[in-house]
Amino acid sequence: MAIKGPSMSARPELSVVVPLYNEEDSVPALVDAIRSALAAESSWELVLVDDGSADRTAPVAEQLSASDSRIRLIQLARNYGQTQAMQAGFDAAEGDIVVSMDGDLQNDPADIPKLVSTLEQGYDLVAGYRERRQDKMITRKIPSWVANRLIRAITGVMIRDNGCSLKAYRREALDRMYLYSDMHRFLPALAAATAGARITEVPVRHHARRFGQSKYGLSRIFKILADLLTITMISWFGERPIMMFGLAAAGASGLGLLFFALSLHSLDATRQRVADAYIYPAAAFLWLLLACYLVMLGLIGEVAVRRLKGRETLLPIAIERSL
Amino acid sequence: MSSRTYDLSIAVPVVERPVPLDQLYHEFSKPLRDAGYSFEFLFVSHPWDRARTNVLAALSVAGEPVRLIEVVQGGETTLLKVAAANARSRILVTLPAYLQIEASVLPELVARVRDGADLAVAWRSQRRDSIINRLQNRILHVLVGSLAGGRLHDVACGVRALRTDLVSEIPLYGDFARFLPLLALREGQIVEEVQATVHHQAMQGRVYGPGVYLRRLIDVLGLFFLIKFTDKPLRFFGLVGTSIASIGLVLMIVLLIQRLTGSGIADRPLLLLSVLLVTLGMQSIALGLIGEMIVHLSAPQQQRYRLRRTSSPARTDAA
Repeated sequence: MAIKGPSMSARPELSVVVPLYNEEDSVPALVDAIRSALAAESSWELVLVDDGSADRTAPVAEQLSASDSRIRLIQLARNYGQTQAMQAGFDAAEGDIVVSMDGDLQNDPADIPKLVSTLEQGYDLVAGYRERRQDKMITRKIPSWVANRLIRAITGVMIRDNGCSLKAYRREALDRMYLYSDMHRFLPALAAATAGARITEVPVRHHARRFGQSKYGLSRIFKILADLLTITMISWFGERPIMMFGLAAAGASGLGLLFFALSLHSLDATRQRVADAYIYPAAAFLWLLLACYLVMLGLIGEVAVRRLKGRETLLPIAIERSL
Repeated sequence: MSSRTYDLSIAVPVVERPVPLDQLYHEFSKPLRDAGYSFEFLFVSHPWDRARTNVLAALSVAGEPVRLIEVVQGGETTLLKVAAANARSRILVTLPAYLQIEASVLPELVARVRDGADLAVAWRSQRRDSIINRLQNRILHVLVGSLAGGRLHDVACGVRALRTDLVSEIPLYGDFARFLPLLALREGQIVEEVQATVHHQAMQGRVYGPGVYLRRLIDVLGLFFLIKFTDKPLRFFGLVGTSIASIGLVLMIVLLIQRLTGSGIADRPLLLLSVLLVTLGMQSIALGLIGEMIVHLSAPQQQRYRLRRTSSPARTDAA
């Protein structure tokens, strides 16, 4: 590793990644806040990711990055969504420790040092949780409470607040996970399932929105439920899809047998017409058909795992304990 | 790597409608020649269309810059990709082998790409066409236009200028060449539209058979799925599955209540329907889950975003 001349700074220790979408008003204040929050840190960089904003976010961020070499701007070709913007920021970040946060000033950069010091106590991911959340009750807080309960129960990752973007990660954890679709919501669960990350959480401040509009709505509930089903599969069955589909097939077969039992039961009671003798067995066959179908799908899943799981996939994070 | 000998390559996939290719060549090369561009015409065709491409030999003998490339396999998309791979220019113009719009728009399209657009597409603002074709066009646009977020007015016009490399940057297969501008938009490329006039000889009143419409509808369905759900198949299959399964479930509950209140259900075809719906719904959800798993497993191998630019080059510390 060669450092080319004094002007080239070495890799920073800490990278802060902030996805921005139509945040032209908040960016200057955000950058100031981050700068003063990190005044005590030795070396850091700020990676601003413009997620195809339609307003003047990009030029404003561009100006800020021109005035400070520690600030970089990554501009996506179109609006891809928060998850892809975050992944783009992670890919560009060079620090061994990476912190992600929202660009709307609802997170407080002053919490960054606390997250980092917690991370250094031996964790791979530290999630912030919003202690006194400043959001609307009906559309934001209640759905979020339900969703977090569900996520915790299903994935077993004990994080109170999955929706809070303020998080700190070790590079090793980020290298082992890939965000796509809307998976940023399930980031801790994904980190636990695919990276074997050690995860904890710390309380962080939360401010009411100062600029702009919230970019969420109630319409996302169905999407979250679908994603939750996916993350369930990933964290429970990981690389063994036949397990999950096999269990589901066993359930369907059980129902099939139940209907066969019913058909035997109804034989003596209601055998006045031909139709009576057929409906229960036919229903039973349908359940068994589903069971066969699920087993076959599970096998296709196994093929996909074999084919797509690259040889060079990193092993989970492992730490050798001194004895 | 093909050399960049010319300013432009004009790719003409020779499929379906018969227009004499020499007439096409003379008409569309004139405005480009007048604008001072150097160019070559690349006709890409199938060997069984020799009856149409025979005239090109005469053009070539006369010293006109025409090339003919034949492929035995593949449809319009393949022909386009072959043309891009063989083009000896940085800018590619695609031209359907029939008279779609007036040739005068070509220099403007090329100028847009030279000025920084990744793709410039002609927009037939006033169409003279049979009622059926216009109706079909309206339906196509209602379906496809929403995918482009209202940024494209003429999604299916085949006259376009683009960076030659663009063709390899976009996942193109099947019949999706037709929707190249839309796919380019989805990849974050800069797409511009240029108003054009429909060709004065454009055939009017031509009506396709139902097979063509069916294929197009399937195309649009595939495109819709590709664009909306490739990264989240469960959102699609899950929605379909839960809707179907919940109808079945409601029927089952109704039947269960009837059973508990004393009326027998062993002779009710409704029972069969409810079980059928539930199993069908579960199949759909299971398929969606398999899709999600494939997406999850292949995620590390695929960058899912495209950068427009970065403010400063990333520090290169590896010597």
